[in-house]
Amino acid sequence: MDDAELKPRVKELIVKQLKLDIDPAAIADSAPLFGESADGLGLDSIDALELVLGLEKEFGIKVQDEEVGVKAFASVDALCDFIRSKAA
Amino acid sequence: MPSLPPLPHVFPFRFVSRTLERSPEYSGKVSADWTSNGSLARVAFPATLLPEMLAQAALLIQGGDPEIGRTGFLAGISDFSIERTPMAGDRLVIEVRMAGQFASTVKFSGVIRRDDGQPVATGSITVKQGLTRPENPAT
Repeated sequence: MDDAELKPRVKELIVKQLKLDIDPAAIADSAPLFGESADGLGLDSIDALELVLGLEKEFGIKVQDEEVGVKAFASVDALCDFIRSKAA
Repeated sequence: MPSLPPLPHVFPFRFVSRTLERSPEYSGKVSADWTSNGSLARVAFPATLLPEMLAQAALLIQGGDPEIGRTGFLAGISDFSIERTPMAGDRLVIEVRMAGQFASTVKFSGVIRRDDGQPVATGSITVKQGLTRPENPAT
């Protein structure tokens, strides 16, 4: 799956799973998903669990290791890399 | 199955009675006997406490973190719908299953019914395990 197809799907997943009231296209590819960064989404640990559940439902990928999850959820770019690595 | 540490909740904030069924996959059934002489039964049971009842049932089934026991707090409520308010004398059965876990955050889904099968509430709750209160920076 290439970036042109995967990134919009991942952004759609984030917005839908977390019930965010934003346009998925407005999420910057490299912006941090978690934390207090001004250009990030400011997600928290409960959102992280929702992303884990969403990834399993949408892509059939399980995230069981916290360390792996923290790296994968750094940004949309990182999440796409993680999904591709699991699909390979 | 190994015995589990006790649930920390006590009267009058203890809403569940005992475990009826428990599987290693963290699903099961818990009873809640709503006695007519309990303090909460003297007034209409606040339905807003049903998610807390589901959370206590969930921790009875899941057992909490083996290192720290069943400590934690109710951190989220989602897709929760309440069909009826429990009445004094009701015996409730709570069916609960673990929907997912990431680090110390655990989500459970469940259904609360009267023992005659009438639905009381359904929904999901999220529990943050291991922390009982935010750290106070002043101390």
